[in-house]
Amino acid sequence: MTEYISHSLQETETIAGEIASTLSNNQVVALLGGLGVGKTTFTRGLVSAFGVDSGVHSPTFAIVNEYQGDVPVYHFDMYRVTDEDDLYSTGFYDYLGRGLVIIEWSENVLDYLPADTVFIELAYGEDENTRIIKRK
Amino acid sequence: MLILSIDSSATAASAALTDDSKLIGEFFTNTDFTHSRTLAPMIESLLQVTDKKVSEIDAVAVSNGPGSFTGVRIGVAVAKGIAFPDDIPCMGVSTLESMAYNLTLTDCVVCAAMDARRNQVYNAMFRIQYGEVYRLCDDRAISLIDLKAEITEKYNDDRIILVGDGAQLALRELMDLPLNVELAPESLRYQRASSVALAARARIKAGEKPSAHSELLPSYLRLSQAERERKEREQKASE
Repeated sequence: MTEYISHSLQETETIAGEIASTLSNNQVVALLGGLGVGKTTFTRGLVSAFGVDSGVHSPTFAIVNEYQGDVPVYHFDMYRVTDEDDLYSTGFYDYLGRGLVIIEWSENVLDYLPADTVFIELAYGEDENTRIIKRK
Repeated sequence: MLILSIDSSATAASAALTDDSKLIGEFFTNTDFTHSRTLAPMIESLLQVTDKKVSEIDAVAVSNGPGSFTGVRIGVAVAKGIAFPDDIPCMGVSTLESMAYNLTLTDCVVCAAMDARRNQVYNAMFRIQYGEVYRLCDDRAISLIDLKAEITEKYNDDRIILVGDGAQLALRELMDLPLNVELAPESLRYQRASSVALAARARIKAGEKPSAHSELLPSYLRLSQAERERKEREQKASE
């Protein structure tokens, strides 16, 4: 496990970029952490390292956004997905192995993720701009 | 009877035209999930090179699952789209059943297995005897461990041949056991439209009729959330 401390949105993106450089093109990255903790900011930093520099937003309603970077990037939001049959009917399994997969609200689908998933836990720090980022 | 058969239930996609006695044409690609862009042009090209028109088609057969959610939906949607203008009847064929028709050349037990993730497969067992296919159980989602137990108990005297994109997974589970088990050669291992056609032809021969395209539905072997919630509500209401 590696731990990072971020003091700003900017820094969160930089840390995400650092982590991105260690990932394979078909990696599944699961983000853990509640509302406003910086999951989308982290995602923005992560995918910009893969050549996606605009249009990143939370796909809460669409469930998945696709971005074309240096590799295809699939950005999931599992907020409304609650079990395995749901997950299947998002087409999630059809995306694995075809590009970088990033999952917000992965808490809802923890039992169904691939064994080699990289977990990123985001939590509030001491003050309102501080975040603790753990890679597991 | 001119049948257009379609398969896009996993990573490969294919379309075939058959009449009562022969395979007239088949188009097969395995280029990962591009079915939404490639399946319709494939069918168009197939009709063009075989000099047939959509209006001449007597039935559309499609592997309607189990399989990839996206793939199954595309196959069924394309079948319905082609059938709609001329009211061509349709027939959904189990993907697993269609693969059993890859192996009618030899007497054996076919174990059809498609990867359902997390050490599970979509599976059904078939017996091939004198070129005929006999179903031994319903399509199901089953863990590899349960499948292994069942095969050890029931089929330890048989020659077992594995087909499907879960065949390797199943083989890994079974190869240390004293079983007569083997992988189908690659050209016969996966689902394809010509096998869907053979399965449909066998069903029609047995008296089943293709039905209205509106009755054609995907068969995922899973319930969608809406279906499950409705079931729960109905269960509560009836208590």
